Amino acid sequence: MELRHWWWKFLAIALLLFASITALRTPLTPALVHVSPDRIAPGTSVIEVLGYNTDFQAGSTVVYLENADQRVCPSSTEVTDATHVQATFDVPTGLKEHLTTVGVDRLRYEGALFTEGLGQGIEGGACGPNEASSTVADAPFAFPNRSILYESIRNLHFHVPMWFTMIVLMAISMVQSIRVLGSNALEQDRTAELAAQVGLVFCGLGLVTGAFWARATWGAFWTNDVKLNGAAVTGLIYLAYFVLRGTVQDAHKRARLAAIYNIFAFVLLVMFLFVVPRLNAVDSLHPGNGGNSGFSDLDLDNRLRMIFYPAVLGWVLLGVWMLNLRVRAARIAEPLDP
Amino acid sequence: MRTPLLLSFLFLALTTMAQAPGWLENTLYGNGKFNVVVVVVALIILGIGLWMWRMDRRISTLEKDRK
Repeated sequence: MELRHWWWKFLAIALLLFASITALRTPLTPALVHVSPDRIAPGTSVIEVLGYNTDFQAGSTVVYLENADQRVCPSSTEVTDATHVQATFDVPTGLKEHLTTVGVDRLRYEGALFTEGLGQGIEGGACGPNEASSTVADAPFAFPNRSILYESIRNLHFHVPMWFTMIVLMAISMVQSIRVLGSNALEQDRTAELAAQVGLVFCGLGLVTGAFWARATWGAFWTNDVKLNGAAVTGLIYLAYFVLRGTVQDAHKRARLAAIYNIFAFVLLVMFLFVVPRLNAVDSLHPGNGGNSGFSDLDLDNRLRMIFYPAVLGWVLLGVWMLNLRVRAARIAEPLDP
Repeated sequence: MRTPLLLSFLFLALTTMAQAPGWLENTLYGNGKFNVVVVVVALIILGIGLWMWRMDRRISTLEKDRK
């Protein structure tokens, strides 16, 4: 056993360990997650704000309302604990917009309050974000805290690499299929088949993990979304590849026929996973599709990427290692006729 | 040579457990059980790695026998 043949296998496990542990242990940035009540009217209003990962402190935490860039300061603020604060406002008549934002230091809950008694505007108060306040300080390294996703944003480092790994394995399968057309070699045909098999395992993992995440964020295991249906159809296309292989007796004929199908299958994969869901004509719930932005707009300081790329590389290397074992075992178990 | 490499991976895993700020005691690490999950995940990944390794070695042995 020589290290120069093994380094990438160690790298795979090391990257998976690093990425998975960091993905679990990294905290989320502080955020305001709940405001009650959800509407205000002119007069006295007591607003309760719930923070997540915050450290509200009596005396230094500043709460304010904001409507059309005009601020309303509280008449009193009561900090219950690190994540609960209560502020009493004398809401003036004449706020301009329907939605009022609640701010606590530099954290904001945009449009938290439906506003009654609209008018031509008020004189803004002097209270406002306490930039220097330590009560909402970030951890040195934290993930974005986005409503709906919250802690489940960590799934980015587990669910998405499944698809990257599937695509790399399907690409390997396609390249082998192209080579089969030139060489007619059964060995390459077998590698193409096994790569598609291992790829399908990751496709299944991607579908199941995606469905589970969808349940937590969108409320249903499956929605009629282009991205989801595209992924499911891709899986079916590759299942049909194995059915096609099973229908042809002659090995060389099977190799050529399967190779041609497989090349088209990869083209369809690219279409269904990357082209169709990104058309602006379609709507998609899935981040990065149908005019939606991906997580990159949450990730301005690249903290997700620093974990995401190692995770993808780790899973891809593990997938390639699995294929490597499959191919070598097949060579021993079922030697091909010359 | 297996043991030192495994130990170096464990060390790598431990170094990622940096100091958490005080407010995290309220949420993620508050009741002290969260690290159990982290260790379980690390053990699963190490276990899969070990299984892959042993399978790889077994296939290598078979490949040598056939030559």
